[in-house]
Amino acid sequence: MPTHALRRELIAAAVLIAFGVWIVSVALKIPLGVATDPLGPRTFPAALGAGIALCGILLAGGVLLFRGRGGQVKLTMEPDPEDEGEAGGPFSPGRLAGAIGATAVYLGAFEPLGYLLATTGYVLVLMLLHGGASSRSLAITPPIAALVLYAVFKFGLLIPVPAGVLAPLLPR
Amino acid sequence: MGFLDQLVAGFGNALSGSGLLIMIGGVAWGIIGGAIPGISGAVAMALALPYTFSMDAATALVMLAGVWAGANYGGSIPAILMRMPGTPGSAAALMDGYELTRQGLAAKALGVSLVCGTIGGLISIIVLIALVVPLGNLVLAFGSPETFALAVFGLTLIAGLSGPSILKGLAAGAFGLLLTTVGLDTLTGSLRLTFGRRELLAGVDIISAMIGLFAVSEMFYQLSHPTRRDVTPPVDARTSFPTLRELRDVSRATVVGTIVGLIVGIMPGAGATAASFVAYNEGRRWSKRPELFGKGSLEGVAAPETANNAVQGGDLVPTLALGIPGSNSAAIMLAALILHGIVPGPFLMSQQSKLVYTLFAGLILVNLLMIPVGIVILRGCLLALRMPPPNLVASILAVIFIGTYAADLFILNPVLALIFGVIGYGMRVTGFPPAATVLGLVLGFLAESELRRSLIISHGTWAIFFTRPISAVLLVFTIGFLLYPLALNLRRMRRQPPSPATAPASGGSSR
Repeated sequence: MPTHALRRELIAAAVLIAFGVWIVSVALKIPLGVATDPLGPRTFPAALGAGIALCGILLAGGVLLFRGRGGQVKLTMEPDPEDEGEAGGPFSPGRLAGAIGATAVYLGAFEPLGYLLATTGYVLVLMLLHGGASSRSLAITPPIAALVLYAVFKFGLLIPVPAGVLAPLLPR
Repeated sequence: MGFLDQLVAGFGNALSGSGLLIMIGGVAWGIIGGAIPGISGAVAMALALPYTFSMDAATALVMLAGVWAGANYGGSIPAILMRMPGTPGSAAALMDGYELTRQGLAAKALGVSLVCGTIGGLISIIVLIALVVPLGNLVLAFGSPETFALAVFGLTLIAGLSGPSILKGLAAGAFGLLLTTVGLDTLTGSLRLTFGRRELLAGVDIISAMIGLFAVSEMFYQLSHPTRRDVTPPVDARTSFPTLRELRDVSRATVVGTIVGLIVGIMPGAGATAASFVAYNEGRRWSKRPELFGKGSLEGVAAPETANNAVQGGDLVPTLALGIPGSNSAAIMLAALILHGIVPGPFLMSQQSKLVYTLFAGLILVNLLMIPVGIVILRGCLLALRMPPPNLVASILAVIFIGTYAADLFILNPVLALIFGVIGYGMRVTGFPPAATVLGLVLGFLAESELRRSLIISHGTWAIFFTRPISAVLLVFTIGFLLYPLALNLRRMRRQPPSPATAPASGGSSR
């Protein structure tokens, strides 16, 4: 197994163990419930937390025990998504972080700024992040996408979409 | 008046006046509503309900039945085209449907979904018509142990969704099950895993989690791999109907999906989501080519889609026969009945036979109308895929977040979709199957609540699951289905010791 794949598997196993142990510790603090309920509210989450931790332990054990043995690699190693026949380019962490960050900012601005402005900005940023859009498309698509979605949800589905700072200008 | 005469009269009533137009409108609205994430079948029906106040009871029910049937199908359109389930019931179809889209076979996948869904819907309605009274009595045989056994049976699908690493599948499934424990415990009122956040009292919104795990993660993947040009390959903007040979190939999956949809539909509380996942699992189990599941199998689309639509007939059994709605959509139908002064229950068939037969005829008609109405709407959806990739990715993300917000005007839902999008992305690149998490989310609440209820009934005795015939049979099947592949593998390994030459090659096999 290549070193980076081994490291990835071990990190995944460590995350599972830490998450499972944390869930068990949180679950054991849940009040016991009532006497007529033999399992109570804590058993299920605690058992699942323990199960997740156990999966992590077995995963780490499998990786460490069978590393270097070609026949056992299949037990733990996933095919790299890049090798799945997808036409994927090289991974760009900056774009991923940008997309997650832009989405977080968008959701933060969703209600105070209003749907139309926030969505126009969000679509524009995503198109820039993706790359390959013409300047004409960058100018037209974001406001049109925001307007169409606003109209569909506000007037078609009668859903009160946040108007934000544009509230005085928009029809009620 | 005989049964057939009443049914013929029902067709006449359903088609009288503007009946046909109302049905077409209902089906079209259902497909569109189902295709918008956050507007599930029940929400689409609820939005249509006020428009039925001025109609007579039969027309109102037929229109709502059209919305219901349309939404069952509509949810599959974004699931197949964009890996974005429009309704929870369509999540199972995306596993193979989206693979087919990536292979340039979106129109074929949508055609199979439409035709098999219609077949499933029609058969379930025919069964409903023939067996509404005896099936109504069967409902009473389903208690907590049986529902728990069904949930466990459905969870065996995790093994099939795991891919090369069963441990990762189990961990992902356990994570999904764990998510269903977040919030207020319905049996004791205890707060679980809410970390003091009021927003989490109602638990994790399943549609936001699903959309995050599947759709948001996919869009983030597209954005973080900049040279990737194929959000979807170019598609012909027409529905490609399955050929007779393809229909024959998926016939086994269609039959399995119909049976599963009917049975699960009859059980109150289980619903289309559980049905479609169980049907996907059973479809693979009964398939002659199970190895194609997850890689773009038409059977992998046919089985869940048939079940998704067959649930409608099953769902209406307890609704009409006993006045017990089996799902949110059935509850809206029940509300419409009551709003029009009709009391559902054991006497409905005898006291309101004209109305019931009009509803039966209307259900057949709306299922038939799904094909022409679906073709027209699908054309527009397929044309949308011709947008340039930057526009498409950005627009899909914008639709996702307004859709999840619109579900209950709660900003937490789109935030959850973002969080699950990041988790889904991480799962994808580390080889954890998000579908196993979704399965856990779908069946977790059912499994835990019915397990605990069963043990309360039995005063803590686990024998209750094996002393009741239906649950015993389901659990024996579960154990058998889990052990059978293991036994088969062991036998193969004994007969054919692995060749050293083939071992390294298997390690790098692609999915």
